[in-house]
Amino acid sequence: MNGFIDKFTLDFITDDRWKFITKGLGVTLEVTALALIFGVIIGLIVGIIRCAHDQQSENERRGVRGAVLNFLNLICRIYVTVIRGTPVLVQLLIMYFIILVSAQSKVVVAVVTFSVNSGAYVAEIFRGGIMSIDKGQMEAGRSLGLNYVQTMIYTIIPQAMKACLPALANEMIALLKETSICGYIGLNELTRGGDIIRGTTFDALLPLFAVALIYLGFVMLLTWLISLLERRLRKSDNR
Amino acid sequence: MITVKDLHKYFDDNHVLRGINYEIDKGEKIVIIGASGSGKSTFLRCLNLLDTPTSGHIWMDGEEITDPKADVNMIRRKMGMVFQHFNLFNNLTIMDNITLAPTKLKLQSVEEARENALTLLDRVGLREKADAYPSQLSGGQKQRIAIVRSLAMNPEVMLFDEPTSALDPEMVGEVLQVMRELADSGMTMVVVTHEMGFAREVASKVLFVDEGIIKEENTPQEFFNNPQDARLQEFLSKVL
Repeated sequence: MNGFIDKFTLDFITDDRWKFITKGLGVTLEVTALALIFGVIIGLIVGIIRCAHDQQSENERRGVRGAVLNFLNLICRIYVTVIRGTPVLVQLLIMYFIILVSAQSKVVVAVVTFSVNSGAYVAEIFRGGIMSIDKGQMEAGRSLGLNYVQTMIYTIIPQAMKACLPALANEMIALLKETSICGYIGLNELTRGGDIIRGTTFDALLPLFAVALIYLGFVMLLTWLISLLERRLRKSDNR
Repeated sequence: MITVKDLHKYFDDNHVLRGINYEIDKGEKIVIIGASGSGKSTFLRCLNLLDTPTSGHIWMDGEEITDPKADVNMIRRKMGMVFQHFNLFNNLTIMDNITLAPTKLKLQSVEEARENALTLLDRVGLREKADAYPSQLSGGQKQRIAIVRSLAMNPEVMLFDEPTSALDPEMVGEVLQVMRELADSGMTMVVVTHEMGFAREVASKVLFVDEGIIKEENTPQEFFNNPQDARLQEFLSKVL
């Protein structure tokens, strides 16, 4: 027992080493939250472009709008293919050493990398959600004189959101944990915080378990929040 | 009111409509019958461009709606459509289903639209369902709401695509009743259906669509009592 207390004191209390953990956690949450917001925005735009392209009628396909949509769709497909086809760690390193080489802050590099990465996955989740909605819903909206965008906003997307919420929650959880690779570019996030303590005290057990426990706690919190939201959204199904 | 000229529709290699010509006058009740796969639903869906005709022309009130430059959304406001599977917006209450299009298209204020919706709901006896969601209604109720939703746009013509085919038998009557009342009110209607009784009583003209063309067109009396086309005779002998 004394051994544990000694180790604990050494790992977390001495020299205020707990600050590596709390500061790291702050960075992890910051990167995750920002990447999540931008990722969802990117994903929503890309997902809707992909669906709008696939769902347009023969008439719309012929005009100028059709040509623009074809072009945007091609770009979106390339984006999704490239991002999903390469490891996020490689993307992070490319971003850090090549594309954003003059960036002032590593947080920016991490946020950009994970937004772009997450956006590709979210796009496919949204696309799946939108495609899962019965096409009668779109036809009903269009038959009333609503245009494509109006029908999407008022009926399709709300239903699609509900359909893809579990998958979106998965993506959020994955994102939170994936940010642990930011140590590779020297960003002091949660995992690296624990690792710095390990490197200083030569005790691996406590710092790494502490880090793991914190990730687990946040994942469980996220899961719980999502389940609350799902229950709210299900109201229109059974009441 | 609606003129259809040499309408063709292909789905890939499948030549579904093979030259439909027809003219619908204001106030007419056209009932279209035919075997499944005959093209009758496709014809109906071409009228409001939910399916895009491959070739041919359709005019509504003198305006060519098959013109690539025609404002499709504007045209659809004038044409209500009722679907086999109701297609109520599942995420919205009945009230919001009915008022969505009139309010978002800025044709009515929210108060006007709600008032209008309640009047229409009274007409089909479903006022108390205004705050319910579609999933809480029976099939017959859903279809009556779907009719009301279309009527809320004050359309000039109503298109019905097999409106009772997805209903349990005991609910068919209530929907046909609403359609009868609508017909009595003078609405122009185009109805694809298998309900021969409805065709007999309500139709001003009955069309038999087969192999992508109109094989026979007549008043209900002549159509059912004295069918000319051999395929129609065969069809009627199976369904009557």
